[in-house]
Amino acid sequence: MITVIREPEGQTLTFAKAGSVRRLLNLLGERCTSVLVIRGRELLTEDRMLRPGETVIVRSVRSRG
Amino acid sequence: MKCRRCKAPAQVKLPSHNTGFCPDCFFRFFSGQVARAIKDHAMIAPGERVLVALSGGKDSLALAHELKEQGCDVTGLHVYLGIPGSSDASLAHIRAFCEPRGIPLLVHSTPDDGLAIPEVKEALKGRPICSACGKIKRHAFNRAAREGGFDVLATGHNLDDETARLFANTLRWDASYLSDQGPCLPAEDGFARKIKPLYRLSEFETACYSFLKGIDNVVAPCPYSSGASFTGHKVLLEDLEHTRPGAKIMFYENFLKNGREAFRSVAGSSPALTPCARCGSPTVRETCGVCGLRRMVAARRAGLFVEDGAAGLEDEAC
Repeated sequence: MITVIREPEGQTLTFAKAGSVRRLLNLLGERCTSVLVIRGRELLTEDRMLRPGETVIVRSVRSRG
Repeated sequence: MKCRRCKAPAQVKLPSHNTGFCPDCFFRFFSGQVARAIKDHAMIAPGERVLVALSGGKDSLALAHELKEQGCDVTGLHVYLGIPGSSDASLAHIRAFCEPRGIPLLVHSTPDDGLAIPEVKEALKGRPICSACGKIKRHAFNRAAREGGFDVLATGHNLDDETARLFANTLRWDASYLSDQGPCLPAEDGFARKIKPLYRLSEFETACYSFLKGIDNVVAPCPYSSGASFTGHKVLLEDLEHTRPGAKIMFYENFLKNGREAFRSVAGSSPALTPCARCGSPTVRETCGVCGLRRMVAARRAGLFVEDGAAGLEDEAC
């Protein structure tokens, strides 16, 4: 299972299956240039793999005024 | 994915440049884009004092950070709007950003100037607040730049902001706006030179830069911003960019190169500006639109009726 925190909404989601960042973005309906995928102090490109038990932040890049 | 320059693991993929970078090489790329914008459009001359408008968002903070790193003489200006739940957090965030970086910060308080945004919103009686708020901020920026003796006023508008604005102006074929849209507007008629050094960088790129530079993200958005303009246009252009990477920068740069001049010949001359009778800011009317708003707010407080002081806000030059 992986845990995803959406920002700025603050919503927490869990996914049973790990996989690539690309797969996660597809599940979330996001593009690789519309969000940052953050693990710790690192940004993940869409070819990176997520490991079971990990938590990542998916942060929208769009300004909100 | 490997960094194109050094082959370390990439952290930033840039489809528009068909490449990816590790953090250090991405910083070189980012700095290069800003330096190119400054050089191509003669934005900042050596020794000039730059006033950077700081909203607290990632773009304006990234801009101040990068200009400081490039050796510019940078001062920050924040316009405090008096919006509950948003303005205090933004100001605290900006102070925490400027202090460790040695960036002097000026704060202009609109409530102290009779223009707290919630009161302005009430006085506008249901009309959109965003354009009035933008006008008040630009008025404050211009005034601070003029009174502080700054040569240049820099804002954090990025490629997405600029292409969305260009798209909106093009949909209306607005010759007047199309004739003077650009990343560098020369100083004239009492206004400092206005520059947008991030215009070659997307929202995604400034977000990556801010995160990797450790610039904290403020989570206190304006409660009125859901009606902000251009959001729909940004989504359309994002779709276009997805299928044709590089389309946005091509659209904007080719407009600057081939399109803007054509509109200058048909736009006609702008009306002459004179100092506002109340505040001295350049305006096409006797008193500027911001002073009109201030009068409306004061009258509403006193329970008086006044003529529409916001009339003419849209055709104001400031």
